[in-house]
Amino acid sequence: MTTSRTGLHALFALLLASWPTAVAAQATQSLSIVPVQDLAFGLLLPGRREAITINDVSRRAVVALAGSGPIDVSLVLPDALETHAGDRIQLHFSTGDAALLTTGGTTLSPLDPLQVNRVLLADDRTVLFVLGGTAVTSHATRPGHYTARVTLLLSNPGT
Amino acid sequence: MNRSTRLLALIAALALPSVAGAQSITGSISATADIATVFSFGAPSALSFGTVTPGTAATGSGYIPLSRNVGVIYSLPDGATTGQLSGPGGNLQPTYTCGVGATNAAIVSPFTNCNTAVNQLTLAAPTGLLTEFVIFNGSLAAGQTNVAPGIYSGTIRVTATPN
Repeated sequence: MTTSRTGLHALFALLLASWPTAVAAQATQSLSIVPVQDLAFGLLLPGRREAITINDVSRRAVVALAGSGPIDVSLVLPDALETHAGDRIQLHFSTGDAALLTTGGTTLSPLDPLQVNRVLLADDRTVLFVLGGTAVTSHATRPGHYTARVTLLLSNPGT
Repeated sequence: MNRSTRLLALIAALALPSVAGAQSITGSISATADIATVFSFGAPSALSFGTVTPGTAATGSGYIPLSRNVGVIYSLPDGATTGQLSGPGGNLQPTYTCGVGATNAAIVSPFTNCNTAVNQLTLAAPTGLLTEFVIFNGSLAAGQTNVAPGIYSGTIRVTATPN
């Protein structure tokens, strides 16, 4: 008859051998998003169309991203800026209105803010996500402060 | 299979490395814009009575445009001497009708009067950016023009205050 104690030794050995592997796999999946700069159209006149390109250093949105491996980057984009009173300014985003840069400003990859973008992030390295856009006022646009919120989503592929 | 072996098999299955948990995070940034208050006079068109034969009446019209997207209060800081002409023969005070029009051709919203230093006209904020015209129509009676020849000139001052 096989002794139960021998079998238990084998069980514990197998358990200890396999557990650290599972822990190590989870440690490489950390992601971070740190807002750096808002998308700021500034002072606009009624009846004008104002575009911010990804090269507009002072007005484009900037977000610092960190992670490792392949990451899906997607956005929830507003269609308008609004005041508290409900006045609206149309917002338009198009292909070419986003990009991934090094912290030194070198373009790593153009991104499409209208699509899910698959990017490859290197370990322990921060990159910058930049976003432009176009605001369209009309002659009927009232004076005031208009705001909107852009949501950025980072996810591991398959999430 | 004995009990220990079954237990071994069960724990082995549980101890196999699992696929790393899927992860996602979200962040947000603001988008902002400020719409400017537009409130500015444009280039005026001078009021000219032309070359006047002494002892004859004369008229003239002039205007200044104002672009705005807020309400406005108009006033005449010079009061009784608004648009007074000065020249070799002294001062001439024309009689004016004045007010605001959507074009420079006709007054639609008249001032209360054209020669007192009080608020003359208050207009509400428009639904959008507009340009309107502050118009002065002047007249000189025949008796007023029987003066020494020469050039008579003056300034019509209008104050526009955002409201």
